[in-house]
Amino acid sequence: MTEGEPLIAVQSVRVAVSESANTTVRVDGVSKQYDLGGTVTALDDVSLDLSAGSYTAVMGPSGSGKSTLLNLIGGLDTPSSGQVVVNGQDVSAASEAERADIRGTEVGFVFQTFNLMPRLSAVENVALPLVFDGWDRNRRRERAVSLLSEVGLGDRTDHVPSELSGGQRQRVAIARALSTDPALILADEPTGNVDTDTGAQILDLFDDLHAAGNTFLLVTHERHVAERAERIVHVEDGHIQSIEDVSGGEH
Amino acid sequence: MDTGESVRITLRSIRAHKLRSALTVVGVVIGIASVITFATFGASVEAEIVGDIETSNAGNIYVFGTPSGDDDFDRTLQPVFTEHDIQQLEGIAGVEAVLPRGIVQTQSVRHGNQTLARQQVTATRPASFTPGVLVEGRSFETDEEAVVVNERMAGSFSENLTAGERLTMTMPDGSERNVTVVGVVNGTRGEVPVSEFARQPRVYVPIDPFYESVVESPSAGVRQRAYPQVTLVVDPREIPETQSAIQTYLSGESDARSLSADDTELIARSGNDFVEEISDVIERITRFVTGIAVIALVVGAIGIANVMLVSVTERTREIGIMKAVGARNRDVMQVFLVEAALLGTIGSLLGVPLGLLVGYGATRYAEVTFSLAPLWMALAVGVGVLVGVVAGLYPAWRAARVDPIDALRHE
Repeated sequence: MTEGEPLIAVQSVRVAVSESANTTVRVDGVSKQYDLGGTVTALDDVSLDLSAGSYTAVMGPSGSGKSTLLNLIGGLDTPSSGQVVVNGQDVSAASEAERADIRGTEVGFVFQTFNLMPRLSAVENVALPLVFDGWDRNRRRERAVSLLSEVGLGDRTDHVPSELSGGQRQRVAIARALSTDPALILADEPTGNVDTDTGAQILDLFDDLHAAGNTFLLVTHERHVAERAERIVHVEDGHIQSIEDVSGGEH
Repeated sequence: MDTGESVRITLRSIRAHKLRSALTVVGVVIGIASVITFATFGASVEAEIVGDIETSNAGNIYVFGTPSGDDDFDRTLQPVFTEHDIQQLEGIAGVEAVLPRGIVQTQSVRHGNQTLARQQVTATRPASFTPGVLVEGRSFETDEEAVVVNERMAGSFSENLTAGERLTMTMPDGSERNVTVVGVVNGTRGEVPVSEFARQPRVYVPIDPFYESVVESPSAGVRQRAYPQVTLVVDPREIPETQSAIQTYLSGESDARSLSADDTELIARSGNDFVEEISDVIERITRFVTGIAVIALVVGAIGIANVMLVSVTERTREIGIMKAVGARNRDVMQVFLVEAALLGTIGSLLGVPLGLLVGYGATRYAEVTFSLAPLWMALAVGVGVLVGVVAGLYPAWRAARVDPIDALRHE
């Protein structure tokens, strides 16, 4: 990961950067290069804002840089240049430990492959972010049990992931993403590993959670999944090509 | 992250790899057990020997001649003490008894129709035999044609010697002396501290009328009996003062001094000095052997490190998950350190009783009384936990440094 200016200067796509208080995520002129034998530019001068309570989908072919964008916003990675601010905190300038805290409290991840701890029960998986956030055991369990009932798994709290179906595992992962009441939920192909019906149920759950005020950023390559969002950001070759408003046709 | 949670995660992980964890623990168990075994055995032997000497010989002072300025222990020179010396030593405050000893040469000793050749016959005073050492019979008296034998000697004949029986001693000139065995002893007062198994068969005779070695006393100017060995029994409350008074006499005007070569130094040693020397030697040997056992512990530690590295690789994805949900590097490190420390702790908790058991068996086999070495036990448990932590440090550090993005992609 090399620091410095992007090697290829291309036109920047700026999306209405509003400095309003309800901006949950501000991505400002972010570039990311990887040093894999030669320098590979994954993102090139990308700017994007997510307002609180919004639901945004990122679409693009594989290798377009959409996962890199998600990792940068989620604090799993740091940009080569530019700034990422999540809920008022500058992720791009944060130390490793600070980023760990941001990942734990400001962001909730939902992955394609669920990424649950195989030997922990559903309730322990949901409570895991709370462990690192310093909650005591009883409060953790209380919170995790209530979240599991919220996603419809109130009767599966003590099952380990291998005893759950794909859809149930993804619900556990969603409950875990909600556990610290984060400012933003990042979902990376959340329906990629489940059948169509189950996928639809998961997206319904996202709709419910969005309606309850949660902010979503969802990465997908499937059009029908992306259309559940309010707007679709099209990414290609490390650039934002266009932003499409799909929330009932209003611009 | 609270420790309870990392212990819980660790226990799940250990349970998921029962055999692997068990074998790793066995490595630590062997290491801790061998350290405990040798330490316990060494402590037992030391306590046994030191206890023997301390109970019977604390108030004894032994006199040696050694080449001066030479630390070489085994080069003792035989001094000669005259009757004059004995009298002078008896006059020192705090001295309760002076027990000279001399060797009477015999060709053989006969009992009934069984003859034992070349027996050591020791000439000494009746005061050498206190009620405490007498197994049966009584002490001989001065001028009596009688002997006292020790138990080894009594058992040397096919029919055990008992008090009242007759012995015939053949002297170097071929003459025979018939004597009565008046007592059997299991040691003598003021003997050089040795353990029971090092004891030789002995026959004791009174100085009068058996011992005849003489030398001209430089101070008295007359020929007197001379003895190669003298032991003093002193008041146990005044050992240091008495010992230094004896030393002063020996180094000064004693006949033994005048009759010794200039480079010979006469030294008075107390039973306590012996205890210290012997303890020191045994401790050194114990430390050395225990040090070798520590190698087993190091091998156990390498086992932990090895298993932890495998565990880190296997759980790379889990590390990624933990990091994605807010685990800091030190949280990840803690999870793996706790696992390593737990393996070490379980190993030492099992190793201590095993080591004690084997150590107990060894003391039974060597016929010494079992003594605990509590310091070593505490040390072994501490070392076991430490071994786990140290062995887990590098794997845990590797785990903490895992890049979460790579880890989440890891299959």
